[in-house]
Amino acid sequence: MEALHQLAHGFVVALSPLNLFWAFVGSVLGTAIGVLPGIGPALTIALLLPVTTQMNPTGAFIMFAGILYGAMYGGSTTSILLNTPGESGAIMTALEGNRMARRGRGAAALATAAIGSFIAGTLATIVLTFAAPTVAELAFVFGPADYFALMVLAFTSVSCVLGASRVRGFVSLFLGLALGVMGIDAQTGQARLTFGSPELLDGMELVVVLVGLFAVGETIYVASRYGGGQLLLNPLAGGVWMTREDWRRSWKPWLRGTLLGFPIGALPAGGSEIPTFLSYMVERRLAPKREEFGREGAIEGVAGPEAANNAAAAGVLVPLLTLGLPTSATAAILLAAFQNYGLQPGPYLFLNNPDLVWGLIASLYIGNVMLLVLNLPLVGIWVRLLLIPRPWLYAGIMVFGIVGVYGLGGSELDLALMVVVGLAGYAMRVYDFPIAPALLGMILGPMAETQLRRALAIGQGSPWTLVESPLSATILVLAVAVLLLPTVLRRLQPA
Amino acid sequence: MSSRPTEAEPAPDTSSTGTRPPPRPSWLGVAVIALGLVWLYGALSLPQAATYAVVGPGFFPAVIGAGLVILGVLLLVAVARGERFEPQDAEDADATRAPSRAAFWTTVAAGVAPVFVIRPLGFPIAAAVTFALTARAFGSRRTLLDLGVGLLLGIACWLLFSRLLGLSLPGFPPLGVA
Repeated sequence: MEALHQLAHGFVVALSPLNLFWAFVGSVLGTAIGVLPGIGPALTIALLLPVTTQMNPTGAFIMFAGILYGAMYGGSTTSILLNTPGESGAIMTALEGNRMARRGRGAAALATAAIGSFIAGTLATIVLTFAAPTVAELAFVFGPADYFALMVLAFTSVSCVLGASRVRGFVSLFLGLALGVMGIDAQTGQARLTFGSPELLDGMELVVVLVGLFAVGETIYVASRYGGGQLLLNPLAGGVWMTREDWRRSWKPWLRGTLLGFPIGALPAGGSEIPTFLSYMVERRLAPKREEFGREGAIEGVAGPEAANNAAAAGVLVPLLTLGLPTSATAAILLAAFQNYGLQPGPYLFLNNPDLVWGLIASLYIGNVMLLVLNLPLVGIWVRLLLIPRPWLYAGIMVFGIVGVYGLGGSELDLALMVVVGLAGYAMRVYDFPIAPALLGMILGPMAETQLRRALAIGQGSPWTLVESPLSATILVLAVAVLLLPTVLRRLQPA
Repeated sequence: MSSRPTEAEPAPDTSSTGTRPPPRPSWLGVAVIALGLVWLYGALSLPQAATYAVVGPGFFPAVIGAGLVILGVLLLVAVARGERFEPQDAEDADATRAPSRAAFWTTVAAGVAPVFVIRPLGFPIAAAVTFALTARAFGSRRTLLDLGVGLLLGIACWLLFSRLLGLSLPGFPPLGVA
């Protein structure tokens, strides 16, 4: 079993004191931002990018993975205790989890969420361990036309599945593509869309766009609609951790959640909203005590979605590591991080940097254990983070944003662009444009263009090259199907 | 993105049929078209086809520009058809409220201030200004305290990121601290 050998080697890498330290830092940071509103794993990783260029890439990615997973755990804590999901994958958890907490069963809800997350995360990582090298082998079969088709599929799915309307999703995508195209063209050295500014020759900095869209845009939006909410802490006391019956009721939802979460997380635009929603629906249908749903709070409704959430997070790593294809906003930023180090995820990464890849996968197991330990006993501490007054919290987010943007190259132009992008992010929130497609467009766009030009060069200009190989033809048909699906669904339903 | 979970009992729908008329943001469509035209213009002044590679550097930007123009038109059509443009839910934000202009502009000022402050006065002071302005936008009236906390945060960040981690943040230029 080649994979097991590699994994064993990966554990040697991941268990080094320095990498353990980074895993710990990532997990703590991830849990903290999962708990706090206004800042998520995508923005945090983006802010850390300039800092981590000084670091060994293995340690950096171990830390990023810790942040990614930690945010899942942290988000469910606030979901259950305070009915405020820390991130979109935790919305379903809040439904039943908060009801349980209000009935004094908060500790059990937290326990089932944490344990379910651990089990799902570990199982999903096991599948990742064996699936990744196999899928990576597949990538050798992919030619430029196939890669281009795959990216078109990712673009289409992200734009069509998320958000209120496809037009808005595509506007967001094309905005991202437009930003990504600015700067010097890699293949001809030609300056494009730089508006005569020498600073823009390198293109728009990713951190500027990320801080603008997420930190500044979010802060402007929340500030303008702030109600001055007062947070009530649900007491954890009065709850027993999990009883035997709780365990009995939870283990099947854990497994079902994992089965739902992992494959959907691996699909383009899979994300965590769909698998958690599906898991909730499934558990509701299958639960013996169905009447508890929506009233006292059914533990299955926490166990399933939480497992789905974490399994989806591991699933996202499959296409990212094996094909270099990001299927969520955070994955797109991780891809950008790889590019920062001059690394290209895909089969060559498995060949040339086995330490990095397998060390990362091994540290996912370790991270899950760390997070279980961090989250169960220390829940009280995390929740106290929410006592930070909101004005200071968002003010702090702005300050960190400036660190990230100015710390890069000391450019006031970057700061000004940050505000401009922030205003765009504000408008997107006000008028309900999804933000993830813009990110995907900006990060994946240049790569898609390279593959397109390569494919056309090989095919000597014939656009048919793009559909010649059965692989690319199938993928493009899928993309068209995704595009047309909402229209078809609407026709099938009576108005 | 996150949203308030729906309750089991039906909650009153206060989102779109409130006291404000639903937004009709035609200007969005116009803005997208304008952006598309800018990109098209920038693209068409580049070589479109290179001899060896069939498509030149101008191709992709032109496609993007054209795409944006088409999407802008579609957006205008959607607005004209009365499609709903509801604000997104976010934690701490109440999407049903009318937005506060004062808070909006204060926050924008918080973002713009560093552009003018950071080079002459250094990062900690810029952080203090941004911090206080943002806190004010969120309703804090304790401006001196906010400035103080912001300054402390700025100094801590400067020590951590600039001294320890190697980013380039100016300290306090008037005193010559880089």
